[in-house]
Amino acid sequence: MRLDQDLASFMGSPVMIILGTSDDALQPEIGRGVGALVWPEKGQVELVISAWQWPGTLANVRANGRLSVTFARPSDYVSYQVKGRACVVPATKDHLARAAAYIDAVGAVLAELGLGRDIAAPWLVNRDPAVLSLSVESVFVQTPGAKAGQMLQGGS
Amino acid sequence: MTIRLRDLAACFDGVIPSIIATAAHDGTPNISYLSHVQLVDDEHVALSNQFFSKTAANVQANPAAALLVVDARNGEQYRLDVRFERSVESGELFEEMAVQLRAASAQIGMADIMRLRGIDIYRVGAIRHVPSPKEAVDFLPAENPLLSATAEIVRRISQETEIGAIIDAALDGLRDELCHAYSMALLMDPAGERLVTIGSRGYDRTGIGSEVAIGDGLIGLAAAERRPIRVSDMSRVRRFGSAIRISAVEAAEENRTRTIQLPGLPEAMSQMALPMVAHGLLRGILFVESPKRFAFTREDQAALAIIAAQAAGAIVLAESEAVEAAAAMAIPLTSPGRQFQVIHHPYDDSVFIENEYIIKGVAGRLLVHLLRLYLREGRTEFTNREIRFAPELRLPDYKDNLETRLLLLRRRLEDKATPIQLIHVGRGRISLAVAGAPVLNNESG
Repeated sequence: MRLDQDLASFMGSPVMIILGTSDDALQPEIGRGVGALVWPEKGQVELVISAWQWPGTLANVRANGRLSVTFARPSDYVSYQVKGRACVVPATKDHLARAAAYIDAVGAVLAELGLGRDIAAPWLVNRDPAVLSLSVESVFVQTPGAKAGQMLQGGS
Repeated sequence: MTIRLRDLAACFDGVIPSIIATAAHDGTPNISYLSHVQLVDDEHVALSNQFFSKTAANVQANPAAALLVVDARNGEQYRLDVRFERSVESGELFEEMAVQLRAASAQIGMADIMRLRGIDIYRVGAIRHVPSPKEAVDFLPAENPLLSATAEIVRRISQETEIGAIIDAALDGLRDELCHAYSMALLMDPAGERLVTIGSRGYDRTGIGSEVAIGDGLIGLAAAERRPIRVSDMSRVRRFGSAIRISAVEAAEENRTRTIQLPGLPEAMSQMALPMVAHGLLRGILFVESPKRFAFTREDQAALAIIAAQAAGAIVLAESEAVEAAAAMAIPLTSPGRQFQVIHHPYDDSVFIENEYIIKGVAGRLLVHLLRLYLREGRTEFTNREIRFAPELRLPDYKDNLETRLLLLRRRLEDKATPIQLIHVGRGRISLAVAGAPVLNNESG
């Protein structure tokens, strides 16, 4: 599924990235991403995640591939959720560079909002990095308000 | 070590958004931020349900969910296994969350969007600390000295018999025992439409006599709802109260508007307002603020709730006991001294002493009444009883308000250091100390 260019830019900007998965017994799990590389034409998003910090998320993706990701801008709560199938791929130099730049940029955004780097440090971890490669099947508006939860693209 | 839900109180301050993950019956996950998670008891949390519809649909089909909460003090994350139990659309817990949400969202201009539809109660299972790059994390709160400090403040309040002294004991106690440097106590105007500041600590001016309409700002909202309100991060919050900040022009501004400004910290980040309720009636509001983010915890709120309730009870007792003493024999000396002007504007009963605005309304009428008796009969001592029955005062027919009005008047006169001072000489008795020769004029403007 091709992704809207504005949405792709949003996902690549310094926004919070949170990951939802579930195991085969339908127990959900939470994780955080530290950087996204987006290919809008292919409808693909690659998310860097710390395997050290979020082993449950990684195990769920390995087991069944189901992944949902919400991107939320800290300054105004504008949020989008994408859902689809993912697989775990090795982290390349590009991914590592992306994660480092992301941690730096989002750290600055949070600091501007009064959340210092010492507070945000536990949310911005790239120790033992892995990459989740997600093929997006649907996109939802998640910004608080009347349109929250509305589907933008896709149809699963 | 097992982490108990109560150890995570700092995660439920609404400062750093929590996260919830659910899964549909086909396994499709959903991941969403949450505006409010509230601690219910040792086994339950409540989530506000405004609009996260996919989450709501998912937990109906599959009640298993995961919650990530963040300790606002250090950023540490905790992962909770939770299980949806039920939705609640009314009741005490619902109202408590609704007012918190209203306070928080009105301040970011989203009052209508964030209207609470219901709260969802979840049972909490396993709690895990999410691995953190930081070193050892101390999630257990340090030994809490709050209870003994609160007991000391309550003890001090219980020693007092007069409303002003009760308020002082509460505010001094908050400052000395609980390190609340900025505080105010406002008492309900008996007409029921507004609160009047009767004491404050920490500000560059006392603001005694300043008023807050019921429903206005954090203080007014806490009064309207009769519920505690705590805001932990006001960085994007619209300032409550008056936009006019006054300093050097304070007196001039007061003289022009005949309105006393509410004190306040322009840079406040945390605020808390506690209703003072006794006999089921709202008596006033106890308010504290701080320039620090998340300065006040849920435990601090509980401590202040105890103090507010104790003060309210003591005030009711003081009101009902301050009765009907006989006039004392002693007649305080008054100095002849120089003349000074007291101007009374009957249309709003505002009183100016030497061109400085003092007070208006019933308190203004009281002052003029006492001054007339002083000038006519040379009397300086008065009983509450005779004041209460003086027809020219046209006191509103409220049984228990005279003490509060006299207290307000006494404090305002003190605050303005006027040559007329009111002195509390015992239960149900006051005296007038006049330094100089007042000249009372009525003016029609």
